[in-house]
Parts: sequence; C-alpha cells; structure tokens
Amino acid sequence: MTAVQSAQRAQSVSRNRPRLLVGLEQAWVLTVRSVFATVRKTDRWAPGLIFPLAMAAVYSSQFARTTGLPGFPEVDSFLQFILPATILQGIAFSASNAGTDMAADIETGFFDRLVVSPVARQSIFVGRVGGSAAAAGFQAGAHMAIFFLLGAPIESGPAGALALILISVVLSVGISGFGLAVALRTGSSEATQAMFPLFFMLVFVSSAFFPTELMKGWYQTAAENNPFSLVVNPTRQLVISGWSWGDLSAAVGYSLLIAVVSLGLAYGAYVQRLKRS
Amino acid sequence: MKPVEAEGLVRTFGDVTAVAGIDLQVDEGEIFGFLGPNGAGKSTTVRMLVTLLRPTAGNARVAGFDVVKDADSVRRLIGVALQDAAIDPLMTGNELLRLQAVLHGLGHRRAANRSAELLERVGLTGAANRRVGTYSGGMRRRLDLALALIHRPAVLFLDEPTTGLDPTSRVAVWEEVRALNDDGTTVFLTTQYLEEADELAGRIAIIDGGVIVREGDPTVLKGRVGDPTLRVEVADNATIELARRVLGAFGDERPARDGRVAIGLRGGAPRLTEVVRALDEQGVPVAHFELDSPSLDDVFADATGRRLEGAET
Repeated sequence: MTAVQSAQRAQSVSRNRPRLLVGLEQAWVLTVRSVFATVRKTDRWAPGLIFPLAMAAVYSSQFARTTGLPGFPEVDSFLQFILPATILQGIAFSASNAGTDMAADIETGFFDRLVVSPVARQSIFVGRVGGSAAAAGFQAGAHMAIFFLLGAPIESGPAGALALILISVVLSVGISGFGLAVALRTGSSEATQAMFPLFFMLVFVSSAFFPTELMKGWYQTAAENNPFSLVVNPTRQLVISGWSWGDLSAAVGYSLLIAVVSLGLAYGAYVQRLKRS
Repeated sequence: MKPVEAEGLVRTFGDVTAVAGIDLQVDEGEIFGFLGPNGAGKSTTVRMLVTLLRPTAGNARVAGFDVVKDADSVRRLIGVALQDAAIDPLMTGNELLRLQAVLHGLGHRRAANRSAELLERVGLTGAANRRVGTYSGGMRRRLDLALALIHRPAVLFLDEPTTGLDPTSRVAVWEEVRALNDDGTTVFLTTQYLEEADELAGRIAIIDGGVIVREGDPTVLKGRVGDPTLRVEVADNATIELARRVLGAFGDERPARDGRVAIGLRGGAPRLTEVVRALDEQGVPVAHFELDSPSLDDVFADATGRRLEGAET
C-alpha cells in the first residue's frame, strides 16, 4: 500500500465521526479562539467595558434632573434609564472586534490556513460571530452588576438580567454581521474599522440616551425609526418597569431581524470570498 | 496514481497570466523542488494545488483527487505550510496544534497526543505553553511545520519554508524536511534558494514567467549545462571589455553581475592556466577568479538567459 493510500485510509477513519458533531466541535474551538483573542488583549475588551461606563457617569451627572420632566418615564434614576444605552454602546465596541479580527485573519493569511483545512465552512463563520456574542454577553453582565452596585437595579429581577444578556448576545451577532460583511468583502482591517463610527452615531441618534417623546423635529423622527430604538425601548421597559414577555419578544425579535439582515450580507460576502479562491 | 499531477494548469488574474499552462508530476515519496524567482508563478501554482485558488484552465489531482471537483478530499490528505507562517500570535503553540487537530476532525484525545508528539518532534515542548508572539522566526516555522503535519498528510506542501530564516534555523528546517521524507511523506517544496533545492530535492522543476523551463534530476540538469562557469572580476573596470574579448576565446559568455565576466569554460579546469596566461599577456588586472561546477543557477541561466535573484554570479 502506498503512503497516499494509507493516508486515505487513515483519513476515512476520522471521516466516520458524525459531520454535525465535528462541525459543532470546530465552531466551538474557533469561538474559544475568538474569546481568547479578546481576553488576551486589553485593547480588545477594555474600551467596550470602560468607555460606556464613563459615558454613563457623565450623562447621569449632566441629565440627572431631566427625569422630572413631563414625558420622562418613571425611573429610580437617570442611571437606571441609560443602562440599555450603556449595554448597547458596549456591544458596538465588542461587535467591532469580530469584523476587524476576521479582516486581520485575511491579511495575515490565517484565513487561508483555515480554508485549506477540511473544516466545515460554516464553522469558520460561526466561530467569529460566537466569539463576539460571548464577549457581549459577559460585558452586559458586568455592566448590569456595576449599575446594580451604583443603585440602578433591574426591576424585572434576575430573569430580566438574563433576558438582557440574551438580547445583548443576539444584538451583538447582528452588529458583528455588518463588520464581517465589510471584512470579508474588502479583506481590510482599516476599511472594517472605518465603518464602526457609524454605529456609534446610530446609538446617539436613538432613544438610548433620552426618551424620544422629549425630542423634536428630524432628530425625533430619526430616533423613533432607528433600529436601535426598536431594541432599546422594550429592553428599557424590562429595566425600569418589570417583567414582560412582550418586551422580551420585541427586543429579541428586532435584534434577530437586524441579525438576519447583517448575517445575510456577511454570509454572501463569505461565499463570494471562498469562490474567489 | 501520482501524489501530484497537473496538466495544462493555467491561472490568470485579469490580463495577467501568472501560470501559463504547466504540467507536473510528482512521484510517491520524493522531495520535489519547485524553483523560480519572485513572481515566477510558484506560489500561484501551489495555491491551486492546495485548493486555495481555482485554476482558470487545466486540471490537477493531488493525492488522487481533483483539486476542484473533490477539494474537500484533497484538503484531508495534504499538509500545507504557506509562504508566511500565518500563526495567531495570541495563542500558545499547544493551543494552535489542538485547534488544527480539531479542524482536521481529530477527537480531543487524539489531538492532545498528536500535539505532544509533534511539539517534541520539532523541539518546541519547552515553549508549548508560551504565546506564539514570543517565538523567534525559526520557532514559528517549526511550529508551522508541525501544524501542517497534525493529521499525518500524504503530501506536504512547503511554500518557501525558510525564507527570512537565519542559517541555523534554515538547516534545522531542512533536517526536519529530510526526516519527514524518510518517513515516506511526499514533499512539494517551493523555494527561491538554489542551495535549498540542491540540498533537499530529488527532482526539480524551474518555473519562470508562469512556464516550466526545466524539469528533472538536479544532477542531470546541471550535467546538461556542460562546461563549468569561470567568473573573473577585473580590478579595473576600464578593462572589462578587454577581459570579455580575451575570455570569449575560451567559451560562451554567461550572465554575470556588474564588474564580472562569466563564461562556460570549454575543456574545464585543465585550461585555467591558459586563461590566466592570456589575461596576463593582454594586461587585464584580475581581482577575483573562480571556477564553479555547473549549479542550478547555471541551469536557470541556461534556460532563461538570466540569473536568479540573489544568486551568486
């Protein structure tokens, strides 16, 4: 038997493992790699954790008295009001890592290393998105814990906290998808990073930091129709009003809708990149 | 069945033809050297053979499978170390090997055993739990080699495995490649280093401008070039044309770098005394004088009329 024939036989043994199991295992190890990439570099996790908290400190000092304005929802404090905004900002930071890391993999040739292996093609994609989602979940948990210690509780209790983590994970997948689409289309970290200020602008032109009822003109129209507002409003209800299946469904549903659109774009770009090779 | 077979392989990028219809056959258990200057089409050919790039025309089979129609089977049977050791600097050597093992469908226990075995083999056991970002260039290359071997491939593709390495690390990689080949692994090695091809390859193909210009046993190819190369460096540049005329009487001129004249010395070493006497009689001051048996560089020069970049001329 030749060396090639014996290698073929050996490979057919490993091929006998269920494909789904192997694919899930591959997606898992690639997710773990993404998480390691975030945890092991301070500049990956620190901005998403710290900047939103700093913004929350500034805003809650500046706008503390606005909670008494007519039309402002009933809240314990402005800090409680902007918890969803803080989580959303954190997600925008952490989700940007998925795109830039994918672009870096393409630039350094690590993407080729993955593609030249018999890995399930979906696993490469899922691994990147999964890493970003896991980071967003941890980050949201940390933000909620810090807000709780600062006297801004979640009225819907532990179930609400879990719901917020779920929403964060799904929304993170949605935002990551746009970064991945640009990364896979261009293969450039610079191009991918360049699109993320857009998300921060979208966060500000939404109901994240202020109720749309107290806005006026084009800004109010833009904020009311901003996809982020559609997620933030029901999320905020879970924070300030208590448990509601309806609010949970709305927040997760709109996040899922964003994810479907962005992942569709990203997967299209991914297939194109694989075809190009 | 040959481990690597290609017929009429073509790859174009827009108007540029990188590979212009090459045929290749690599035999079981050999180290096949694929030699050429930068931009000759070496890496493009390898990327087609390892399924990273679709050929524009022609076909290729690796380990018995078509690289386009049955790319997944090809990927299961090949090991690949591409030109730049693309290794995640944030991961440890051990983590990367286990990741690679899972990507090849090995279960956790097999992955752990195989990783430990390969780390030992490439001398990285002590650095296994260090992040790759702290590795030297040589260590990264050795790890890259280990990653390519995780699933015991039938054919190993090494794309310029020693580029950028210091001489000691280069020799360490060569030893590892030889040892792998001794174990029965067929190796497809691209390189721009003549010495590397000479040291390792049992058979070579030289590619230039996307076309294979020579193929065969290095010894046979060098023998075909014929006469040894005599290189003369003149002490005074003003006499270089005179030196060229004098030397022209002893053999055909070959490409040489500035300030030198090279010829294929008809009759070989026994005629050296005559050459020295002739140069002296014509008053050509000689700064340096050397006679080399035909090298792969001479084979390349014979085929293309140029010297390989960086090669000694």
